[in-house]
Amino acid sequence: MKTKVVLTFSPEASNQPITHNLIAKHHLLVNILRAEIDEVGGKMVLELSGKADDIRKGIDYLKDNSVSVRPIKEGVRRDDDACTHCGMCISICPTKALSIDQKSGKVSFNEEKCVACGVCIDACPPRAMEILI
Amino acid sequence: MTAQEFKEFVRANGIKKAAKEVDIVTTGTFGAMCSSGAYLNFGHSDPPIKMQKIWIDGIPAQAGLAAVDAYIGATALDETNNMIHGGGHVIEDLVRGKALRLRATSYGTDCYPRKEIDTYISLRTINQAVLMNVRNCYQNYAVATNSSPKTMYTYMGKLLPEFGNATFSSAGEISPLINDPYYRTIGIGTRIFLGGGQGHVIWEGTQFNPGAPRTPNGVPKRPAGSLAVLGDLKQMTPDFLRGLTLSRYGSTLGIGIGIPIPILDEEMARYCAVTNDDIQAPVFDYGQQSRNRPVLRDVSYADLRSGEITIKGKQVPTSSLSSLYKAKQISEILKSWIMKGEFTIQEPIQRFPMDRVLRNLDVRTEREALQ
Ligand code: SF4
Ligand code: SF4
Repeated sequence: MKTKVVLTFSPEASNQPITHNLIAKHHLLVNILRAEIDEVGGKMVLELSGKADDIRKGIDYLKDNSVSVRPIKEGVRRDDDACTHCGMCISICPTKALSIDQKSGKVSFNEEKCVACGVCIDACPPRAMEILI
Repeated sequence: MTAQEFKEFVRANGIKKAAKEVDIVTTGTFGAMCSSGAYLNFGHSDPPIKMQKIWIDGIPAQAGLAAVDAYIGATALDETNNMIHGGGHVIEDLVRGKALRLRATSYGTDCYPRKEIDTYISLRTINQAVLMNVRNCYQNYAVATNSSPKTMYTYMGKLLPEFGNATFSSAGEISPLINDPYYRTIGIGTRIFLGGGQGHVIWEGTQFNPGAPRTPNGVPKRPAGSLAVLGDLKQMTPDFLRGLTLSRYGSTLGIGIGIPIPILDEEMARYCAVTNDDIQAPVFDYGQQSRNRPVLRDVSYADLRSGEITIKGKQVPTSSLSSLYKAKQISEILKSWIMKGEFTIQEPIQRFPMDRVLRNLDVRTEREALQ
């Protein structure tokens, strides 16, 4: 399993070898996607891969060391207020993540099916589909 | 009742009973309607200015009227042709109640000495803000697809290569002019739902073409009638008026229109009983870049709504540019307005001319233009 998290930490925490501990003690593969650290603390974006259990324990370890952990959902999101339910995206989406309910005419977005290919982004007239990074 | 409910009523009870028992059917549509815009009157500045060039939030508005009147078109873009923000978005922002920067320049006259102004306006500061659209609510429209090997970006949306998809733009059986194919109840003066407020039909729409081929029940098989409409922007809401971007084509305005159709007699009941199976639309190949694109085939709205049509032996996924969801919402809202007495039916004061024909623009000599 893989997951991406944003870590925000205080100076105390930045003095500890947290990524080392994640790797050594929690058997995780850690990929540092971005890091900004200085004397007043910092921010890091990590991709953690490993067993689901280990990831959970790893995240608990971080929290115990006063690191705040926020998961990022990567991929594509829909702004439901902006969507007019026109349906333009339906014939564009290769995975049928976007579909229309014939009775109500409502277009729904199934994030599970979305592969974040991005094809729908510039096809949506009110620009309701956005890529998160 | 709504158009949807009426069709079910007819299926269950027949035309005769429907004609006797139902007074009014409410229709609706919400789609990208390019021939739209708003005229505005800003009020006079001190010293006054006769505006010659005008920009609202960076988008040029048409000046050539009196000193402080302007018209901003839905497809207007700024000099950079950035399509994310155009005239349609400016109109939406006004409706949202935002303050927008207004800049204008002039050559200055004795009575209008000021040469430039840079200020902010909102719907609260200006005198008139009136949506005036010269062609909305097409009776029927084309279906677009693309045979070429590359993705095309058109006013019919993103068309994937090699018949990768097909797009259409009509609410089909609940769309206003489909339910009154010969314009018996919709004419000049008809009161309508427009962008969330109440407006009127003010004329036939441009390119009005009532002579288009029709099915035996009167429904045009090609783009035929259309409406020019007008209404107060100050009454409208962003739910039913939306600036849209069609990538690499430009900006436009999504507008919701709803029209009540009185069931005058059995003939009107028959028209309003029309279903998606009875409505045909032509499929055009936008991969061919000319005015006279061949029709690949005719398809019904029932086929289009099924999510797939067959073109040249290939299963092609379809989708719509107009929102069925909002169209239904509009027909519901209009119905509730009528039942609460908040909306009164206005009979047309003049009917549309049925002898209009559609002309093309060719490169002509002065003499040919007179023939
Ligand atoms: S194209 Fe955009 S507005 Fe239309 S249904 Fe899809 S997400 Fe909604
Ligand atoms: S990003 Fe790709 S898979 Fe996801 S909804 Fe858009 S078109 Fe479909």
